Amino acid sequence: MSQPSPEVYEQGKGMDAHNRAMREIRARNDASYDPREPTRVWLDEDNTPDGFVDSLTIILNTGGCRWARAGGCTMCGYVAESVEGGSVAHEDLTAQVETCLDHEADNADEPADLVKIYTSGSFLDEREVSAETRRAIADTFADRDRIVVESLPDFVDREKVTDFVDRGLETDVAVGLETATDRVRHDCVNKYFDFADFEGACAEARAAGGAVKAYLLMKPPFLSEGEAIADMKQSVRRCGAVEGCHTVSMNPTNVQRHTMVEELFHAGGYRPPWLWSVCEVLESTTDVDAIVVSDPVGHGSDRGAHNCGDCDDRVQRAIKDFDERQDPSVFDQVSCDCERTWEAAVDRERGYSVPLTR
Amino acid sequence: MTDYFEVHERDGAARVGELRLDPSVRTPALVTDADAGTDPDGEDSFRPETDLAHPVLRDAGSEWTADRDRPAGDDGSLTLLPHRGLPAGTPGEVQEAFAPDAADVEFPSAAVVSPDTAADCGTDAYVLSGAPGVVGHAEAFVDAVVGVRETVPPDTALYLPGVATPANVATLVYAGVDLVDADRAVVRGTQGHYLTVDGHAFLDNLDELPCACPACRGPRESFDRADCATHNVNALAAALATARRRVHEGRLRDYLEGQARHEQWLTAVFRRLDDQYGYLEQHTPLVRTAEMTAASEDTIRRVEIQRFARRVTDRYRNRFSNPLVVVPCSARKPYSDSQSHGQFHDAVQWRAHKVSLTSPIGAVPQELELTYPAQHYDSVVTGRWSATEVEFVADVFRAYLERNDYPRVIAHVPEDYRPITERVKAALDTEFVYTVEDHPTTTESIGNLAAELADELKYGKRERQHNTVKAIADYQFGDGAGDDLFGELRIRGSHPGLQAHDADGDQLAVVTRNYGTLAFTLAGARRWVDSDAPTKRVEIDDFVPHGSVLAPGVVAADHDVRVGDEVVVEGPSAFAVGRAQMSGPEMDRSTRGIAVQVRHVAET
Repeated sequence: MSQPSPEVYEQGKGMDAHNRAMREIRARNDASYDPREPTRVWLDEDNTPDGFVDSLTIILNTGGCRWARAGGCTMCGYVAESVEGGSVAHEDLTAQVETCLDHEADNADEPADLVKIYTSGSFLDEREVSAETRRAIADTFADRDRIVVESLPDFVDREKVTDFVDRGLETDVAVGLETATDRVRHDCVNKYFDFADFEGACAEARAAGGAVKAYLLMKPPFLSEGEAIADMKQSVRRCGAVEGCHTVSMNPTNVQRHTMVEELFHAGGYRPPWLWSVCEVLESTTDVDAIVVSDPVGHGSDRGAHNCGDCDDRVQRAIKDFDERQDPSVFDQVSCDCERTWEAAVDRERGYSVPLTR
Repeated sequence: MTDYFEVHERDGAARVGELRLDPSVRTPALVTDADAGTDPDGEDSFRPETDLAHPVLRDAGSEWTADRDRPAGDDGSLTLLPHRGLPAGTPGEVQEAFAPDAADVEFPSAAVVSPDTAADCGTDAYVLSGAPGVVGHAEAFVDAVVGVRETVPPDTALYLPGVATPANVATLVYAGVDLVDADRAVVRGTQGHYLTVDGHAFLDNLDELPCACPACRGPRESFDRADCATHNVNALAAALATARRRVHEGRLRDYLEGQARHEQWLTAVFRRLDDQYGYLEQHTPLVRTAEMTAASEDTIRRVEIQRFARRVTDRYRNRFSNPLVVVPCSARKPYSDSQSHGQFHDAVQWRAHKVSLTSPIGAVPQELELTYPAQHYDSVVTGRWSATEVEFVADVFRAYLERNDYPRVIAHVPEDYRPITERVKAALDTEFVYTVEDHPTTTESIGNLAAELADELKYGKRERQHNTVKAIADYQFGDGAGDDLFGELRIRGSHPGLQAHDADGDQLAVVTRNYGTLAFTLAGARRWVDSDAPTKRVEIDDFVPHGSVLAPGVVAADHDVRVGDEVVVEGPSAFAVGRAQMSGPEMDRSTRGIAVQVRHVAET
C-alpha cells in the first residue's frame, strides 16, 4: 500500500490538507458503476521497443485506487469511476476482460500485439487484483507479444512480473511517476513515493525480465507554464537514465471531473498546458536514450492541452507523428501566430500569476 | 515593520506612495523584473514595457518546485521572497497548509499571499496570488482586495500580478492596488486584442487605430501583433499615470464614475465597493480641496455624500425658532454667493431658517453651506430628477424634519421639487406652504415668500453666528457637541472666518474658510477634552512634536479618526492639537508616514 504516514514525509503539512480537500471534492460525486463492466476499452496504436504496433487498452474497474479513497492525487478523477464499496470479485474482473475481448473481436481484424491494462490504481496490488485474477489475465493474453500493466512502484516485485514473463510476454510495468522532482510529486500532485522508489521498481522489473514505462504529468496545479516545461525536460532525462525504463510517456494534465484541478479550473486558477509546451519538451529531449511519446487527451478543448483553437489539430497531428517516428523535424512543419502568445506566457507566468492566458 | 514603502497621499482606498528603493519609485506604478530581457539562454524575450516599467522585481522563486535559499536582497529592487503561489480556487485547507511564514529581512521585500492566507508577514509589499481568477468578477475581486488590504499593514504596497489593462487599472488603483505589471497587456496584444481605456477591440476589425502613441503612428498595414502589444503597454502606462494624477488631486472617483462604465464588471466593482462602506469610509478624508463632479447617480453612494447626509440627520440640530424656508440649491457655491440665493435672502431677511435641497447632497442647513462637500460639488442641472435622486433627497429631508421642529415650513421650490416635498408630506404629514409661481426668482414668487414671512421677527447677528459655530461643532464632533463645547461663547471676526472665544476672551476655535470646519486652539482642545463631546485622541511617545507627528511616534489612536479630522495629541511631555493625516487604524498599524499635522503644541 502506497499510503505513507505523514511522518514519512517531513513536510507532511500539505498532504493532510490535500487529502481533506480531495475527499470533500470527490464526495460530491454520487455516481456508481457496475462491477461487471470495464471502465473503458479502446483500440489504438503504440510505439514500443518492437516498433509501432496495434494496441488494446483496457481500464479495469477494480474498485479503484486506495490512495484516492484517502484523498489522493490532485488531478485524478478516475476514482470517481470506481465501484461502490471497494473491491471487485474475481468473477466480475473476468467478466470485464471478456467484455474487452468482445469489443476487440467486434472492432479489429486480428488480436492486437500489445495489451495495456490500467486500473486507475495498481494492477499489481493484490488487494485490488488478486494473484488468482492476475494469473488468469496473464493466461488470457499469453498469445500476445507484449503486455503493459499499471502499478505504483511499491507493488512491483519480481514474482508478480514473472507471472507475465513466464507466459512469453514482453512485460512492461506502467508507473505513474508524474515527475522526477520529488517536491512537485508530493506537493503539487499529492502522490507519495520518491524517485528512488521508481528506480527500485525498475530494478525489480528488470530482475524478472520485464521493464518499466514511466508516465509523466505535464503541468500539475501550482506550476507556471515555464516551470512545467522545465520540470518535464528534467524528468524525461532522469527517467531515460534509469536502467529498465525504456519508454517515457509524457502527458499533459487534463481537467477531470471531481478533482482539485477542476476546482482551480472553474475558479480561473488553472489552464492545461499549451500543446507548444509538449512540442518543446519532446523536441528538446530527442537525445534521451528512451522512446519518448505524448498522448494529449482532449487536445484543443478548454479541459485538455490546447493552443489558440486554430492550430490545435495540426499540432496534435505533429505530436502523434513524433510518437510514431521520434523525428523532431515534424515540429518544423507547424507554426501559428499563437506561438508568440505562448512564448509570452512561458516568459512571464509565475506561480503567483497563473494563468496569464486561457 | 515597513522600511521601504510610504504612503504620501490618499484618495479613499487609493494612494500615491513611494517604494523607497534606490532609485525610489512613485506608486501606483508599473513594475517589471529587475533582470527582464536577460534570460539565461541569451535569447531576447519580448519586453515592450522596458522603458515604461520600473525594473524592480527580483523573484526568489517558487517553493512548489524546489527548496529555496534565503535571498540576499538589495536596496535597488523589491525581492519577492520564496513563495508558493495559490491560484484562484485553491481549497481553503490547502491554502492554510502552504501559507507563508513571517519574514525578517533587512532588505526591501514582498511576500506572496492569497486572499485567504493574507497576514502581516513583516514585508514592505504583498503580492496577491490568484489575481487572474478574480479579475473580471466584481464580487470576488472586491472580496479579495478588501480582504487583503484590511489584513496587511496599511503602509505596505499591494501588487496584483498579471491582470492590469488600460481599462481596469484605474479601478485596481481605486480599490487599493499600488503595483501592477504589463504581463496581461502584452499577452493580449500577442493575441490581437487592441486595448484602450474604453475597453478592447479585435485588431483585425480596426480599419483605423484610435491612438497616437508611437507604436500606432506607422501605416496600418504594417501594424502587427507585436506593435499591438507595445501599444497596449503604452496605453496601460498612460492610464496608470491618469489614475496617479487623479489620486494626487483627490478626484479618482469622479474619473472612475465615467471611465469604469465602459466595462460592466468595473462599474460593478465600484458599486460593490460602495457597499463596503466601512472600508471606503475609513479611507475617505473628512474634507478635500478638490471639487466633486456629481454627474452620475452613483455619486449619491459616495462616502462624502453619505457621510454628510448622515451627519446632517444624526448630529446637526436646528437652534432657530423661526419658520423653515426650503429653497433649491444654486450652481454657484457657497449658495449665499449666488444671485438666486441673494434674492431669497432679500425676501427672507433673517426671518426664517434656510435649508437648501439639492441632489446629490440632500439637505444643507444655512449654517453648513461652507462645510465640505456643500460648497465643493458641481452637478448637472436639467430639472429632470431621477427616481433615485428624488428618493434620496426626500429620505434625507424627511429624517431632517423628524429631528427638527419648525412652527411652519415654507417650500420655496420650483415644480420639479414637488415630488420630494410630496413624499415627505405623505410620510410625516408636514404641511408645506408653497410660494413659487413659475420660477423661484420671479417677482411674484419672491413677493409671495416675503409676504409669508411678513409677521415673523428677525433673529440677530449674534444668534446667527453662535448657531453657525455650534452647528458646525455638532456636524464635526457629534450630536450635542455645539452646546457641550460652546456653552459660553463670544464671536469675533465675520463670516466666513468666525472665531469662537470663551467668556475671558481666549480664542477656542476658528471656522476654516475652505472646508467650513472648526480648527481648535490649545484652549479649545483643552475644552474639547473636558467636555462631554467625544474627543478624538492620538496618544504619542515621550516627545514634543513640532510640525508633525510621524506614525512610529504614535502609541495609540482612536479608530474613528479620519484624514482631516481635528485630533488632540497627548503624550507624557506634550499636549497638542492638529489635523489627522491618516486614519486612526492606519496610525496604529503604520510604521512610516505623517500621522498628524500639529497646529499648536504645549510642553507639559
